[in-house]
Amino acid sequence: MPKRDLTLAIEPRPKTGTSTANHLRQSGKIPATLYGHGSDPQSIAIDARAFEDAMHHGGRSSLITLTLGGKAADTALLRDVQRDPVSRKVIHADLQRVSATETVHTELPIVTVGVARGVKEFGGVLDFVTHEVEIEGPANRIPDRLEIDVSSLGIHEHINASQVPLPEGFRMLTPPDTTIVSVEPSRTERELEEAAAGPAEQAEPEVIGATPTPAAEPE
Amino acid sequence: MLTPKRVKWRKVHRGRMTGKASRGNSLTFGEYGLQALEPCWMTNRQIEAARIAMTRHIKRGGKVWIKVFPDKSVTKKPAEVRMGSGKGNPEFWVAVVRPGRVLFELSGVEPLVARDALRLAASKLSIATKIISREEVQAG
Repeated sequence: MPKRDLTLAIEPRPKTGTSTANHLRQSGKIPATLYGHGSDPQSIAIDARAFEDAMHHGGRSSLITLTLGGKAADTALLRDVQRDPVSRKVIHADLQRVSATETVHTELPIVTVGVARGVKEFGGVLDFVTHEVEIEGPANRIPDRLEIDVSSLGIHEHINASQVPLPEGFRMLTPPDTTIVSVEPSRTERELEEAAAGPAEQAEPEVIGATPTPAAEPE
Repeated sequence: MLTPKRVKWRKVHRGRMTGKASRGNSLTFGEYGLQALEPCWMTNRQIEAARIAMTRHIKRGGKVWIKVFPDKSVTKKPAEVRMGSGKGNPEFWVAVVRPGRVLFELSGVEPLVARDALRLAASKLSIATKIISREEVQAG
């Protein structure tokens, strides 16, 4: 989805607590917290549909202008989103006050581009070791994701965090020797058989701290 | 089949399966996953059957992660035995699964192959499940 200027209307949430938050969710709003810039954390409510819409238009990494009573109140970054594990509905959001020129650190997902040579020519398996990296840079230019080209990777070759191309003005915070992706050889026939057969069955687990039963004496 | 190597107690209480999974409810290793939508006691036989179905389907490529472990023993009294005289003997092992729990993860295979493999795995289980992907999760 293309990025656009994002605006979210917020309203103060004087009452907090589980039941109040549940009532708020039932009325189509999301309880959220706004913090940062030295002021006290503020409990706020956001319209659920407007929030989902903002998320679909790059709100995960873009600066969002928050309006209170129709007037621009703050600019903020979405820091955390809690979702229901089954329905995937948003149940809570964390927003951090950030100015456009401020340097912030954030975690970005990594996406691979192309098919690795080791996969295409030698039937290897692309192993995604690290899915997200931490970067630091200006708040108004954070990309949605980072792309890495894996087409030149052969068998037993890998890409480190230091090799991930970053936009100008950004710095990698993830340790540079962290492996992002690697190409491993596919399993051999024997490994396949072992995997299909599974581990050997164990009769009874050992009981920790149990006194061993003495062997039966022959009569 | 998966069983614990060492346990502190051979027999445990039944416990409760209320609520949703608060841990293990997201993709951690793979690109695709199978998520439980109902609570259940998943036996080590079911887990093994699902694993075999998946590994046979993906053949050489890909990697499979099993994210549940059957660490709870289930006891049974023998047939035609009067009640009383203590708890029965451990018969099999189960993993306590709550809705939202990611049971298996897959990566390194084509999306269609991954979805087919997870569908086959789901057919070995006694609960409703859904297939989730990292792409969908990241998109929100």
